[in-house]
Amino acid sequence: MSEVKIKSNNLNVFYGDKQALFDVNLDLNEKEVTALIGPSGCGKSTFIRCINRMNDVIDICKVTGNIEIDGVEINDENLDVVSLRERVGMVFQKPNPFPKSIYDNISYGPKIHGKGETKSELDEIVERSLKKAALWEEVKDRLDEPGTGLSGGQQQRLCIARAISVNPEVILMDEPCSALDPIATAKIEELIDELKKTYTIVIVTHSMAQAVRVSQKTGFFHLGKLIEVGKTEKIFKNPDNKMTQDYITGRFG
Amino acid sequence: MNFVLIFLIVIFSSSLFFYGKSKTKSISIERNIKLNALPKFYGYYLVLWSSIPALVFLLVWSLFEPVIIKSIIIETAANQGAIFNDKNEANLIYEKIKAIHLGTYFGDIDTILKESAISYSKFLNIFTNSKIVLIFVTIIASVIFSLKKIKNNNKAREDVEKILKGLLFVSSLIAILTTLGIIFSLLFESIKFFSVINIFDYLFGTNWSPQRAFIRDASAITAAEYDELRDAFGFVPLIAGTSFIAFIAMFVAVPIGLFSGIYMAEYASYKIRRISKPIIEILAGIPTVVYGFFAALTVGPFFRQIGESIGLTVSSESALAAGLIMGIMIIPYISSLSDDVINSVPQSLRDGSYAVGATKSETIKQVVIPAALPGIIGSVLLAVSRAIGETMIVVMAAGLAANLTINPLESTTTITTQIVMILVGDQEFDSPKTQSAFALGLTLFVATLILNYIAQRAVKKYREKYD
Repeated sequence: MSEVKIKSNNLNVFYGDKQALFDVNLDLNEKEVTALIGPSGCGKSTFIRCINRMNDVIDICKVTGNIEIDGVEINDENLDVVSLRERVGMVFQKPNPFPKSIYDNISYGPKIHGKGETKSELDEIVERSLKKAALWEEVKDRLDEPGTGLSGGQQQRLCIARAISVNPEVILMDEPCSALDPIATAKIEELIDELKKTYTIVIVTHSMAQAVRVSQKTGFFHLGKLIEVGKTEKIFKNPDNKMTQDYITGRFG
Repeated sequence: MNFVLIFLIVIFSSSLFFYGKSKTKSISIERNIKLNALPKFYGYYLVLWSSIPALVFLLVWSLFEPVIIKSIIIETAANQGAIFNDKNEANLIYEKIKAIHLGTYFGDIDTILKESAISYSKFLNIFTNSKIVLIFVTIIASVIFSLKKIKNNNKAREDVEKILKGLLFVSSLIAILTTLGIIFSLLFESIKFFSVINIFDYLFGTNWSPQRAFIRDASAITAAEYDELRDAFGFVPLIAGTSFIAFIAMFVAVPIGLFSGIYMAEYASYKIRRISKPIIEILAGIPTVVYGFFAALTVGPFFRQIGESIGLTVSSESALAAGLIMGIMIIPYISSLSDDVINSVPQSLRDGSYAVGATKSETIKQVVIPAALPGIIGSVLLAVSRAIGETMIVVMAAGLAANLTINPLESTTTITTQIVMILVGDQEFDSPKTQSAFALGLTLFVATLILNYIAQRAVKKYREKYD
């Protein structure tokens, strides 16, 4: 049994008057893939955005409760968000490469955190990140071309490479394959399998099949509440909760 | 008269809309056929066909009627024994005849003029009557034609689309032709100017004093006079003054405008933005002449006082005062437009940057601004062309003396200001002084064109495209 990396305790999130998460208690294990499933608007994305404090960007958003990473509280006003996000990377639903060259897309993060002071160090980081994201072979000869010129699947792998360029401990993925075709999706899933050796991964997905394929642990959210969480196998074969059963068999959602 | 006609045509053809609509409906019921288009398209078809030919006819007629009447009247006057040696005298007689007809002529009226005036009003009557008749004929013919088409269940939708496309095409054609017309009139007058003043003397001369060209007729300049004139039309001080003042203005407006745009787009809360954005935009609504007297009466003297207190000679009309006020005038262009383009940069790019741990200012500097750069450069360009074209502030605050200087505390002048100075008041249109205004206009036009071209190339090269 692997160790708990991230621990949430009575986590509540409000958007203005509307409550989006209700008392979520969820433990995420180190070097494992945790899948979060549930119908749209159920709070999955809101939950993972709490882990790297991306909700700070939204003015009306208020978070109460605790989230700990390695036992350190991160839902704390005095916490340095910059170093938190250095440790917790994120990949978004729609590929969002910067309108810069492939090289600059990857070197952006390391430069900001003062890593890779010389050109050769940066080159090395870029190469390593792209290799880890299984994109190196496809782009190594055109690193100075714009990242926006790549195909959708390549763009998403570029974004994954960008996330791992700062050497995080956790990678959050918010429906990373929803804008991709099946072949590109297969590649990303393969990549996730590979990445979990090094990183703790949380993936939000609408595809049950994907959750089964990539994750070891699955959490089912409904209307802002965590209904059930457990080993992926158990959740999909023999869930305790009737609602989970209904959702995974496609009776609603 | 024409307005009444246009009004009647429009009213009549609009009413045909309903006729066309109901007519086609009843046709489809009567003959039990499926129409090729919705009934309303047949209505539009009738409206367009009944109005456009008549309106075009009216336009063409109104263009040619005065010319034709004039040639007829001048000819009849000549036949009756009126004497005129050239076109100008003929024009004079024609104007006299018109004035007699209108009852506003108070000179001596001889029999020739009297007879001509009578025949003038006769012709005017004939032409007006035939105009009305012909318009009726046109309308009736086009209505009959289009009704026939409708009864044959034509493809009204396609036809209406075609006519509308034609109308849009004509509109853009008018815009293009007008531009060409302006360019050519500039060009021809400038050619006249350059036939007197050597173009190189103009482009590279460093002395601008057009008032020395008092000689009445450009074609009658002697060699000695030319030598006198050749260094009076030096363009360099004007372009230098223009660029200098524009530079000062941009120096003020670009940083302030851009930074306030960034603040509005990225930092200001919704409330602050809602209040302050309109306030900044009010700056753009203040008439330039108000800025002008603000610059001339407040800012200029203020600089002079400060300058005197620290022992500098400051002219009360200075490039600095004009440039500063012009810069303030331009701020809203830059801030408002860059605010809009920064807002249109997708949030996902910012999220991507935050997610790797960038701070807000890092994100703005390295992701948002580069992505918004083409738009920002566009707004700066618009501001530059405003600055170069601005006249009033310079007239009032920077003076009229064409000094070739880089001291911002001295008075200087710009191209547009000189054009105003040259053309204000009574002017001889064939003196080189007046013609030089057209040359200035042309050079300004070409300079702006080159500037735009360079900027567009630069934007294309450096833009970071997001989708």
